[in-house]
Amino acid sequence: MRVLALTKYFQSWNIILVLIFAVLFFAVVYPILYIFKASFVDPETGAFSLKSYYAFLHYPFYLRCLGNSLFVSTLATLLSLVIGIPFAFSLSRYQIPGKTLLKTLGTLPLILPTFIGAEAWLMLLGRNGLFAKVFQQIGLEIPTIYGWKGIVLVFTLQFFPFVFLMVSAAINAIDRSLEESATNLGAGRLRVFFTVTLPVITPAILSGALVVFYLCIENFGVPTLIGEDFRVLSVQAYNEFISEMGGNPSMAGALSMILLAITLSLTVFQRYWVGRTHYAMTSLNPLEVKKLRPLPTFLIWSFCAGLVFVALFPFVVVMIASVTKTSGPVMYFGQFSLDNFIRAFTIAPRPIINSFFLASVATAIGIIFGVVVSYLLVRKRGAVSYFLEILVMLPLAIAGTVQGIALAATYNKGPIVLTGTWMILVLAYFTRKVPYSIKTTASLLQQIDRSIEEASINLGVPPVISFIKVVIPVMMPGIIAGAIIMWVTTLAELSSTIVLYYGPWATMTVEVFQRIGSGDFGPASAYATILIISVLIPLFILNRVSGKDLAASL
Amino acid sequence: MRVQLTGITKYFGTLKAIDDVSLTIEEGDFFTLLGPSGCGKTTLLRTIAGFYTPEAGEIRFGDRVVNRVPPHRRETGMVFQNYALFPHLTVYDNVAYGLRARKVPRGEMADRVVKILKSVQLEGLEHRLPSQLSGGQQQRVALARALVISPQILLMDEPLSNLDAKLRVSMREEIRSIQKRLGITTIYVTHDQEEAMAVSDRIAILCRGRVEQVGTPAGIYFRPASRFSAEFMGSSNILEFAVLDYNEQTAMITAEAGGQRVLLKGDRPAGQSVRCTLRPEWIRVVETPRPGDQNLLPGTIVSSSFLGSMVRYRVTGPGGQELTIEVHNPEETGIHADGETIRYQIPPDRPVILPG
Repeated sequence: MRVLALTKYFQSWNIILVLIFAVLFFAVVYPILYIFKASFVDPETGAFSLKSYYAFLHYPFYLRCLGNSLFVSTLATLLSLVIGIPFAFSLSRYQIPGKTLLKTLGTLPLILPTFIGAEAWLMLLGRNGLFAKVFQQIGLEIPTIYGWKGIVLVFTLQFFPFVFLMVSAAINAIDRSLEESATNLGAGRLRVFFTVTLPVITPAILSGALVVFYLCIENFGVPTLIGEDFRVLSVQAYNEFISEMGGNPSMAGALSMILLAITLSLTVFQRYWVGRTHYAMTSLNPLEVKKLRPLPTFLIWSFCAGLVFVALFPFVVVMIASVTKTSGPVMYFGQFSLDNFIRAFTIAPRPIINSFFLASVATAIGIIFGVVVSYLLVRKRGAVSYFLEILVMLPLAIAGTVQGIALAATYNKGPIVLTGTWMILVLAYFTRKVPYSIKTTASLLQQIDRSIEEASINLGVPPVISFIKVVIPVMMPGIIAGAIIMWVTTLAELSSTIVLYYGPWATMTVEVFQRIGSGDFGPASAYATILIISVLIPLFILNRVSGKDLAASL
Repeated sequence: MRVQLTGITKYFGTLKAIDDVSLTIEEGDFFTLLGPSGCGKTTLLRTIAGFYTPEAGEIRFGDRVVNRVPPHRRETGMVFQNYALFPHLTVYDNVAYGLRARKVPRGEMADRVVKILKSVQLEGLEHRLPSQLSGGQQQRVALARALVISPQILLMDEPLSNLDAKLRVSMREEIRSIQKRLGITTIYVTHDQEEAMAVSDRIAILCRGRVEQVGTPAGIYFRPASRFSAEFMGSSNILEFAVLDYNEQTAMITAEAGGQRVLLKGDRPAGQSVRCTLRPEWIRVVETPRPGDQNLLPGTIVSSSFLGSMVRYRVTGPGGQELTIEVHNPEETGIHADGETIRYQIPPDRPVILPG
């Protein structure tokens, strides 16, 4: 009997579980612990020291970085709410022309890389910018795009869709009877809104705000490109790390830990506090979609269409710029040329190949990892499931720059050297993106009744083959959706790539980023256009095939 | 194939889901596990299928002990409560699934699938997906899929619970006739006593993981072995009397309740109390009592409900005993009004005296 009990623990699933924990420990937990330790070490003597934290508190420069991060994030979050909530209400409660298209286009900015948005605004309002010149000629003084104003502009336009998605989901989950019963009890229209509708959607608003705040504070590309002297925490952590490379990443470690403390507490707050105040409603009768008179309809439509236009316009500009004759930062708008693409494909095709290769390898690993973890989480619930879930979702709460710094510092020397190889990029990508795959597959798996697996076993097919023949096909839509999200977001990844890449392994994102930095807008736009198209095509296909709005699973 | 369970015990954590169950299901029997939810009937079925391993006891299929045989080698056909059809496969592929696993040659497989689909009246639906079928059709596919592999044992877990009432009745007749035609040993789980009686050769009533009673439907109905069996299988009155006298020669008890005497068949020494179960339709309402009528008791009608073929009275009898009486063909006798006093007769040989 005792032997039997022992063998029970050596079943194949337990071995897999141990392997998964090992991978997550190796790729996520240990590197974070490593820089946590490094942040308490004096880089010169190697002894325990609080020097870095002391420096952080002592020099106003560092504190200003933190202040700047919090300032732009707060401002961008508030502005996202200010435009995202009305946008959600307009599209869910009123009949306006082109609604479906507006909804789809309104979620696109989520998936498009933020640094490309930054590039576009630089081309328009930067020093040699198209609009800037036009305004100058007619003698108009426009505020500069550089510094916090530009950062807040780009953040707001790219992240408001999160508020839109969450708030409209909440609005659509409200049963008509809720507002009707308030009216029936004698409340006027405004009173109904402020005492019933608004409180019910408040958790969604708060969730949206937290997500936007998180995305702003962890963003690396935008503040680097248009922040100039306006330094934020993520950028400074990167700068310290680059100058400390080879030595002890003490200051970079300390800044990373401060950033990590912020992102982790945001995630914990979102998950355990906002996530719980959730008013579950089985919406049987959704709210009535009101048809307004022509003038109000036109005003609401103008607001929505205008917003979508302003948010997507930068990407159109980048695509136009990619086929425009350029020399350095000077764009000859109106003069068509394919030079940028020809150069990208013939002289320097390596970043394109790198990006596709790395994204595909990371996605392939992510698919297998995601399916196995989903299965463990849904079907083999046990004592460690809760722990596994936290661990596998943890990278979502770590800024890309921080994970990059941690991995690069940890595997720079010692028994396992990965820094400077492509493997470390794959490791970072798949751990950062696999939560998306788990979200889509686990929720589908939850809907698949366990008995179909048992039916297959009962008909004579062994358990593992039953899983492959019966469960995998049913999970396929989730697996494909997860894979596309992983692939697309990996292609667009910049913040950990910039820390981890090494010469020949520069990706398209790195290429775009660096060329913008050196004012080389033509080639930058060509790579950016290839990126935009590579991101949009799979999403478009999936939308056509499954009718799913992918942005919703981000 | 004969199925024999000996001393089966199954725990979920500290909960004893099945408590020392021993049953023998004869070859070709339609055997039903009947009980309320949580009684362990599905757990027992899944243990037979091999999805659970019992902590103690032995499961035999024929002469072979199958405790250690994994579920995919047990050669049982199982019909699940929610049908568990493979949503990505057509009706044909669902049914052929088990044959493919057995590497049945293509030609033979097609023959067998077509034949079984015909016998469950699903010809022409081969290329549909499960989502394009009605509940009843899905049920038939599930049945065909389990039967096509010619299992020695058919296991059915509440197969009709997702169908509407009318379909349930016609499907159970169909299942019964297919089972008789194939002569396949069948273990059927349900919580519906009427369904159990309609289809089964034998029934085991389960309560809290234990077997209350095993027997034919009529055997259990007419001779319930416990209060639980009596109340679960049909409705039943539980009446309590004090024993005044026991006549060994006639094996009759004279008992009393509320000052009224009754004669009951059974043995119990004088001075004890006796509890017996009595079906509502066994009690007769006597409109014009004749002298010499035995066991005639007075009662007051509390309420009545007219159900067409019968009228059901709630009556307060001697000593405040509450009981239900069903009178069939109420047209002949008329319906008594609430508050009216009636006389009812308990046939002396009908009440079943309960142990304890």
